[in-house]
Amino acid sequence: MEIGKLSLHKAISPKKVEKAVDLNENKFATNPFGVSFKGNVIQADVFESVKKISPISKINEKSKLFASAVVSGINNFNEAFKSRMNSVVSFGKKITTNVFDTLERIGKTEITFDMEGIKNKIFPDRQYSVKNLSSKTVNELQDMWKKLEATAA
Amino acid sequence: MDNKEKIKNIIRTLGEHPDSEAAIKILTDMGTNSSDDEIRELTAQTLIRKNTHESLRVVLISKGKGINDLSATVAMASINELLALKDKKEAIKILDDTIKMHSDEEVRNTARSVRALMTFSS
Repeated sequence: MEIGKLSLHKAISPKKVEKAVDLNENKFATNPFGVSFKGNVIQADVFESVKKISPISKINEKSKLFASAVVSGINNFNEAFKSRMNSVVSFGKKITTNVFDTLERIGKTEITFDMEGIKNKIFPDRQYSVKNLSSKTVNELQDMWKKLEATAA
Repeated sequence: MDNKEKIKNIIRTLGEHPDSEAAIKILTDMGTNSSDDEIRELTAQTLIRKNTHESLRVVLISKGKGINDLSATVAMASINELLALKDKKEAIKILDDTIKMHSDEEVRNTARSVRALMTFSS
């Protein structure tokens, strides 16, 4: 264990580190960690991007992305809209044909409502109003009178 | 609406029915012979409003009907209706004939009284 400690101490001794820093100070000013790996010194600055992207190009790229997204969105919308419109149009056509069929049926069908009969059933006394009685013949009135007298007795 | 009200409506309808002759016949046969005072009263008034020879004859000459009814209410209602007539000629003519020719004295006396009332009222 002592041997290990010694060797490690020797390997990272402050003197050696200082020397290495001095050596690299001038040559690799941008690389403060001018550490060599197997003899090759990393030339490029790995911590800082060499290429500087201007804000305009950033905006352009962003706008391109945005535009492409918009275009694809519009395309998607168009397709969805077309498909929906097709379904709406077909639905409308179906409704129209149904309505025409119904109208044709209504035109051919005779619908009669015995409104007087319905009213008399809802309001049984209504048939004895003077207005309703005036449409009856004298014989009908006589029969009604007789029936009323018979029920009263 | 009870049966009496329904019958009253039938009487009112018969009073305005275009088939006047048939309507008068039904009113005479059924209305004036009713056991109910109100129905007899309304029938007499309806017949007087018709103001025809046939309709007036029933309520002026017939014993126990119209002005000769045993019910004072029916008789008075009939007299009032006669007095309210605009054209009293036919009624006066029938009353004069009744005073002259009717066999029943009571009927003649009633006719005379009503005739006098009509003279004063006109």
